[in-house]
Amino acid sequence: MYFVAHVHENECAKYNCKQCVLFCPEPNCLNYKESGHTAWVWTDRCKGCEICVYVCSDLLKRNCIEMVMVKAGD
Amino acid sequence: MGLEYVRISPGFEKYMPRDYVDLVKFGQFGREVDVMQLGQFKELVEEHPMCAGCYMAYFIRIFYAALPKPEDTIVLGTAGCARLALSQAAVPFIYGNYGDTNAVASGLKRALSIRFPDKDKDVVVIAGDGGLMDIGFGMTMHSWFRKEKFTTIMVDNEVYGNTGGQESGMSPKGVQLKMAPLGKKFEKINAVQLAIDSGCVYVAKISPTNPKRIAKVIRRAIFAARKFGPTFIHAYTSCNIEYSIPTREVLADARKREKEDFKFFEWMTDEVKEFLEEIERKEKEKKKQEVKS
Repeated sequence: MYFVAHVHENECAKYNCKQCVLFCPEPNCLNYKESGHTAWVWTDRCKGCEICVYVCSDLLKRNCIEMVMVKAGD
Repeated sequence: MGLEYVRISPGFEKYMPRDYVDLVKFGQFGREVDVMQLGQFKELVEEHPMCAGCYMAYFIRIFYAALPKPEDTIVLGTAGCARLALSQAAVPFIYGNYGDTNAVASGLKRALSIRFPDKDKDVVVIAGDGGLMDIGFGMTMHSWFRKEKFTTIMVDNEVYGNTGGQESGMSPKGVQLKMAPLGKKFEKINAVQLAIDSGCVYVAKISPTNPKRIAKVIRRAIFAARKFGPTFIHAYTSCNIEYSIPTREVLADARKREKEDFKFFEWMTDEVKEFLEEIERKEKEKKKQEVKS
């Protein structure tokens, strides 16, 4: 059981911002899909540092990312 | 090195690991990517064992995205945190003994310029404050005195993070660390001024709060090193473990330090300035033409 970021894609698609992707320390962990204009998390790569949450909620006040618990194999 | 080295032999695609196939198909090799496109291409650096929320890892991620020619680049590192991510990238990496990175880089750059006189081969040293300003101090300084043409990047976490938190020459005065309980008694070394006085042609000091600016500084340092001489970047990359910064606050800390002692600073000689302006003007024109077509 561990903590990873989860993007609310419907909320995220309202803004065309991509800032969380630019500030994540892990390579290819937070990605961006052009088709839906939204960020998405490659869960296996996420270490749960919450920097994306800081960027999205504290800096930009958009609250599109939340930390969730996942189990191995999810 | 070179694009031929990266390509998969025909018929072998289905046997190669998925990450490698992605790297060749959607990676940076042979095409220019902008750092603002991060998250939309396969990055050179792979999953690495650095701590959660490490901003040194972040700086290294941006560094690899900013490389102007990854297929013609060699990266050198030494003991310290940075090597954990540097060794996981699809760019040749040389692991020096502690402190000798700049001596190895000098020889390597000279050899490359003899072997490939008509090609730009970039050599970049990325090491920590211990590797460059404490233990490797002599070799770092002498590579600058000799005007060796490569880039040195110091990822400064202000502590020996790998070995339990000893103070380094770059720790700020007065700071208490696990292995320095009385507090550091001396000032932080002014590495930027040392670099300017020792013959570097391009020097920058940066806190990683703006990916576009980091990429610009790295590209400038690499371009200037190809032609004129040594270049140096001093980057603040906090250690959230030894300095007990909650991972969520790491970017906030970088922004705070940027307002204090890590204000963005850039210095270059006049000829380098002229040269870089010319390169950047050409890049802009190229982009404009691409947009038009």
